[in-house]
Amino acid sequence: MKGLHGLIFAYGKHLGLRELTERRSPASVPFGGRYRLIDFMLSNMVNAGVDDVGVVLQGNYQSLLDHVGSGKDWDLSRKHGGLRLLPPFAMTQHRDDSAFRGRMEALAGVESYLEKIRQDHVVLADSDTIINIPLQEVYQAHLKSGADITAVCSRNLEDCPEDATYFHVDGAGCITSTVVDVREPEGVRGLDIYILSKELLLNLVKECKRTGHYSFRTAVLQGMSDKLKLNAYLWDGYAAQIHTLAEYYSRSMELLDSDIRANIFPKERPIFTKELNVSSTYLDPDGACVNSLVADGCTIEGTVENSILFRGVSVAKGAVVKNCILMQNVSVGENAELDAVIADKNVKITDGCTLVASSKYPMALAKNAEI
Amino acid sequence: MLLAGGQGSRLYVLTSNVAKPAVPFGGKYRIIDFPLSNCTNAGIDTVGVLTQYKPLELNSYIGSGQPWDLDRSSGGVHILPPYMVEGDKGSWYKGTANAIYQNIGFVDMYDPDYVVILSGDHIYKMNYRKMVQAHKAAGAACTISVLEVPWDEASRFGIMNVDGEDNIVEFQEKPKEPKSNLASMGIYVFSWKKLRQYLIDDENNPNSSNDFGKNIIPAMLDAGEKMIAYRFEGYWKDVGTLESLWDANMDMLSRGDLDLLDSDWPIYARIPNQPPAFMGKNAKVEHTVATQGCEIYGEAFNSVLSDSVVIEEGAQVRYSVLMPGVHVKKGAKVEYAIVGEGVQIGEEAKVGGDPMEVDPDKWGIAVLGPGAVIASGETVAPKTMLNRKHEEVSR
Repeated sequence: MKGLHGLIFAYGKHLGLRELTERRSPASVPFGGRYRLIDFMLSNMVNAGVDDVGVVLQGNYQSLLDHVGSGKDWDLSRKHGGLRLLPPFAMTQHRDDSAFRGRMEALAGVESYLEKIRQDHVVLADSDTIINIPLQEVYQAHLKSGADITAVCSRNLEDCPEDATYFHVDGAGCITSTVVDVREPEGVRGLDIYILSKELLLNLVKECKRTGHYSFRTAVLQGMSDKLKLNAYLWDGYAAQIHTLAEYYSRSMELLDSDIRANIFPKERPIFTKELNVSSTYLDPDGACVNSLVADGCTIEGTVENSILFRGVSVAKGAVVKNCILMQNVSVGENAELDAVIADKNVKITDGCTLVASSKYPMALAKNAEI
Repeated sequence: MLLAGGQGSRLYVLTSNVAKPAVPFGGKYRIIDFPLSNCTNAGIDTVGVLTQYKPLELNSYIGSGQPWDLDRSSGGVHILPPYMVEGDKGSWYKGTANAIYQNIGFVDMYDPDYVVILSGDHIYKMNYRKMVQAHKAAGAACTISVLEVPWDEASRFGIMNVDGEDNIVEFQEKPKEPKSNLASMGIYVFSWKKLRQYLIDDENNPNSSNDFGKNIIPAMLDAGEKMIAYRFEGYWKDVGTLESLWDANMDMLSRGDLDLLDSDWPIYARIPNQPPAFMGKNAKVEHTVATQGCEIYGEAFNSVLSDSVVIEEGAQVRYSVLMPGVHVKKGAKVEYAIVGEGVQIGEEAKVGGDPMEVDPDKWGIAVLGPGAVIASGETVAPKTMLNRKHEEVSR
């Protein structure tokens, strides 16, 4: 049948996220006060009318399973299709102990799933890209262009991750060459969102399996560039790929910019997430809260500035929180002082504790730590 | 069985388009979240919600019942509107008892031993299971939940006169000279077989107004049925009037008896999907609750801000309840007001006033109906109420 099928790669292990991925895969790293990284790509797909989404898992995916559950919060809990989680045991070929070396290897592991895809086109995307893009428009552009593969690209070359993909594009939007492993950005930056037909995807998977290749970028985009028509879809909206703690911190802090918020949280394309039942946030007369994003269920009796508070955070009297990211249920004791701290879920900062880092090198506190 | 069909006429413009149980409360909730959450927390997994007046929003809010964990394959939440029966005999619900009478078939489907009758206009946390246990232990036909009210207020309530063992001996509706201060909370537990018969007898009585308080309870008392009072302690408020709705919101803010952050007895709600609230660089927010989707650049004191409320720079909101999507523009001032969903308040407009600064006779809560638009610079005096079309409505 006509339509788009979603495939999200949630297997990566970005050691660069340090403490945040000690107990979870990058896909389920909390972001933006009430979301997980994967929520953005899942919501993009759902908002584009994608009914079926497969998520390729590996590594510490327990937390991701808890988060997505049946897929109900994204309207992906369906009688037919919907959300399908693809853990490594589904693989027949894979060396079971180590991480996937590339997308093609990950896809080879779920080949039998790919064969059963109902739709004639597939969108491939990473789980750690912060973007709110109308994928339906990308899909229509792909169909119109007659390209074999359409890659979503950004002209913005600021803040590119180290391992970014770059493309050189001609005036007609055709990709003339693919560049990887370079220090300086060139051309346009790929966002690792690709649309191609199911048939081509299956052929590519079979071909790579036969030849022992595992990387989509080198084996397909570079290696088959003479056989395939590659097109770029230029996206001028906000896009961020989060691979390191420094990127995590600065991309998070960008959310305090109302233009960026408007770009990733437009009314017409909501970002869905797992609901949590908490009351509204209470702001005490003794407290103050400025230039901050505050999710529900927080109690603020101290001072909060330039920070992001996830659901259920409490900041006690006399405490001062500046430039921080405090995740779900973090509690900050009386007269504590925090600057440039990323506190993971359930971290407890005791009374009077002072933790001062710098925005250039924020301090990350692992889940459940008591300081 | 949750009686949610009332018009809520004393909430005036707030219920011009929705049933009272669907009126927003406390930032994230609607009134019906309280009885529904109480049911699910008490382990009652089969709930009928009787609707009649403007049910669309209420129906879509309840949906499958999933937010309250009431989407069950057996039982769960059921919306029960009036319906036709053979011979074109169906009718609107004539009274509270008639509403249950018309749904005897529904209750029989589940064949319960006991039925809890609830209403959709109270804010409280209550474990109905304990009440049912008291009912069973006493071997009662009917148990009525009561609250001790101040003696000077007792004449405003339905008062239960009890003996030394809390057996109800007399029921007085709004007595001039109350003999007790135990007020009925409108929450009943019945043994279903008994109630079923009384409902049928009541329906056959052409002079009955088919109401629990007026007919069923007196009839059971007259017949000498064992009826007991179940004493409830804790926060309970009938939010059937504008003043009590405002009061209950303010009570919630002070987090005394009504603590909604308490995770032991959570109140569940269908949560709109919005990004976290944003507090601007000059935002000043004190003794206030804010909800996701809010954008606050101005000031808010002692107020309840529901989801997606915007307060622009220089605007001030004090002692007010702002329902979802209210937009207060630059320099506007809102005081002692209930502002309905989606109301737009123009720049430099003034809504309501401080009781200390206004003649007591002229003071009251200002109320703006959902969707109303207040022009820039306009003044809405205290006690004034405007509907969606900006027409003044008198109380």
